[in-house]
Amino acid sequence: MKPTLLKLLLGLGLLPLAVLAGDPAFNGRWRLDPARSTALDGWSTADVVIAADAGKVGFHYDMTWHTTKVSVDQAVDTAQPVAVTNFFRIDQRHMAVYARPHEAATVAATWLDDGRTLRLEAQVPVETSQGNTTMRLYQEFRLLEGGNELELIELHSTRPRPLVYHFTRVAGEAAKK
Amino acid sequence: MKRLSLLLSLILGLLPALRAAEATPATPGREAWVMHFDGDWRIAGGLPEKALLIGLQGLANRSAPRLYIVHAASFPWEITGPLQDFYERKHGVHFTELKTAGEALGCFARYAKGYVVWDPAVMPTMNVAYTIAGLEDAVVVTPALIALAERHGLKKIDDLRGRYAGQTDAQIYTDAKRRYWARCSHDQLILLGGQRGDIRIPGIADWGVRQKMFFHDLSANPAQADELALEKQFFSELNPGGTIFGWHVYGKDTEEQHTTLISTYGLKMEGLQSLPNLSFNCQFTFTPGFKFTNNHHVARDTKLVAEQKVYISFVQSDGIGIGVWTKPGRGRLPLAWGAIMGWVHFSPAALEYFHESATPNDYFIGGLSGPSYMYPNHIPANRFGLLMREADDLMKVLDERIFEIMDNSAADGNLGNADLTKETVDRYYAAFPDVAGFINGYGPARTRDLRDTRPLISYDYYIDPRRPRDEVAADMNELIALNAKRPYFLLVHVRESNDVNSVVEVVQQLTGPVEVVPLDVFMKLAASKQTYTTRYQDPADPKHFKGY
Repeated sequence: MKPTLLKLLLGLGLLPLAVLAGDPAFNGRWRLDPARSTALDGWSTADVVIAADAGKVGFHYDMTWHTTKVSVDQAVDTAQPVAVTNFFRIDQRHMAVYARPHEAATVAATWLDDGRTLRLEAQVPVETSQGNTTMRLYQEFRLLEGGNELELIELHSTRPRPLVYHFTRVAGEAAKK
Repeated sequence: MKRLSLLLSLILGLLPALRAAEATPATPGREAWVMHFDGDWRIAGGLPEKALLIGLQGLANRSAPRLYIVHAASFPWEITGPLQDFYERKHGVHFTELKTAGEALGCFARYAKGYVVWDPAVMPTMNVAYTIAGLEDAVVVTPALIALAERHGLKKIDDLRGRYAGQTDAQIYTDAKRRYWARCSHDQLILLGGQRGDIRIPGIADWGVRQKMFFHDLSANPAQADELALEKQFFSELNPGGTIFGWHVYGKDTEEQHTTLISTYGLKMEGLQSLPNLSFNCQFTFTPGFKFTNNHHVARDTKLVAEQKVYISFVQSDGIGIGVWTKPGRGRLPLAWGAIMGWVHFSPAALEYFHESATPNDYFIGGLSGPSYMYPNHIPANRFGLLMREADDLMKVLDERIFEIMDNSAADGNLGNADLTKETVDRYYAAFPDVAGFINGYGPARTRDLRDTRPLISYDYYIDPRRPRDEVAADMNELIALNAKRPYFLLVHVRESNDVNSVVEVVQQLTGPVEVVPLDVFMKLAASKQTYTTRYQDPADPKHFKGY
């Protein structure tokens, strides 16, 4: 067997393992650092709990605004695009752009950079004053050096500026809350 | 009906004059006195003396406008200085400054028959003391101010120290209701809420004392069931069409809860608890020959046709005079202002001042939801028509053609469900046949309609004053991209503490075929091509507060 073919087969065999595996340091509760993030609009605090297990990645968001508390769970699969009903993003709530209840976003997830970046690409159904439309959304969750900081960079097909959210790890007992 | 409406409008126009005639007419050359307040409203600091002076103002101004208060620059109502200047210029009032409480009592103690002592350790006693002050012509004092009152010949009428120690607010006001309510006005009530903790700002207390109103700060929060039940008793015993002056208590309940409750009884809300000088302002009518002339940019019957553009219109709907009006930049772009229509009755000079100082880009609209602040989804059907007739008549006096609606009963602050039911929308269309259109919301909302030539458009965006301007521009650009059909009608609510210069800065960052237009032009264009959906409150939409 020629070395190049071996490399190819190894590559083909190992590649799925590589893309299915996120860095375990992603797992845990992350808290938004507002001072290092794009200004929130209509949210006071944001936590995200990430649970990556092989190709499945679960997200649990805990959001607050005054007395409003919103908790959302959603999961993606790096092996294949999935339909996520009521897909959650940290939205700008003073805009008349509303998630369409019970409708699903198509979300593709990919591990990049040796599992230190998770990329999500989603087609998100929204309602505006002119009716129903779709927002194409691109997210990268980047684990920063040291494994205790997480950057979420989000692009919209409809927004001229990226949204950048900086999270820090919530350690120990506090992470359970 | 139109004749009746015209008659009502004439009567309403004359009301301030009639009211002034009941007292001493405000005539050129009038003498009055002015005090300048600092910004210290701490219970342990400047509040006791200010509470005394504001109550004294209500007594001094019972029969004539004598005492006026100019507040510090940090005060919520920024117009007290400009309005003093207006009284000097347009009404020939000559003000003599009083610098101390002693000087004020020296001038005006003769309008009081004594004093009532309230206890700063039991804050509801201040409200009870104000109620007594109105009924018995008393000033309100803390123990530390008794000597001052007595130096000016005032004798003790009542002393609330100890009477309510250890009692809940509900118990205190239940007792006060038993003692005083029967003698108080049943047309008006004072909700002296606002700040909690170590600060109170009872700016409106002069008005309550002058009009012999009952003062309270009861909660409309269902979690405080005893307070809510008592407040419901008051509301049910007010005369139909009554008005609640003041504001809810921060932290005890929410604006949404209180306004919902008030609206459920078909009553009117006039904010805020800090609103100053009504006892003075109510006694001046419009200057001779003055007539409201709004800056209409399009004739009533003109038809405009929208082009393939993005039309943007800005509205400032919070109580005019709270914020932007006196800040630099006003007039640089078209801005619609929610004038407080009830001031035709209570503060006509202030309305005249706003009209006098309006630039061609300032446009006045009616509201909010009725003749004053109400949540229409909750107004009883048998009160709706009467209230809206009153609002329609006020709009005619003020030469206004666009009516603003807001129902935050199901919202959480400036977010969430601010929509109108179809039944409510039907009622508005029936009640206002002559308007050019309606706008709705505070934060964004999604109630929209178009019937004949009258659109109903909700805000698509709310400018949070704290949001960085480049993010505001990005938000608006995203709305423009998401709403890809042209024309797109983008209605924007400018929160009162934004300044106009920063809004101009945002407009300069917008992309696309954008045109900022005055609100009346916006409505005409929106009537010409409906690219927005027709939508009402969906029963399935989430509600933050479920109501009572």
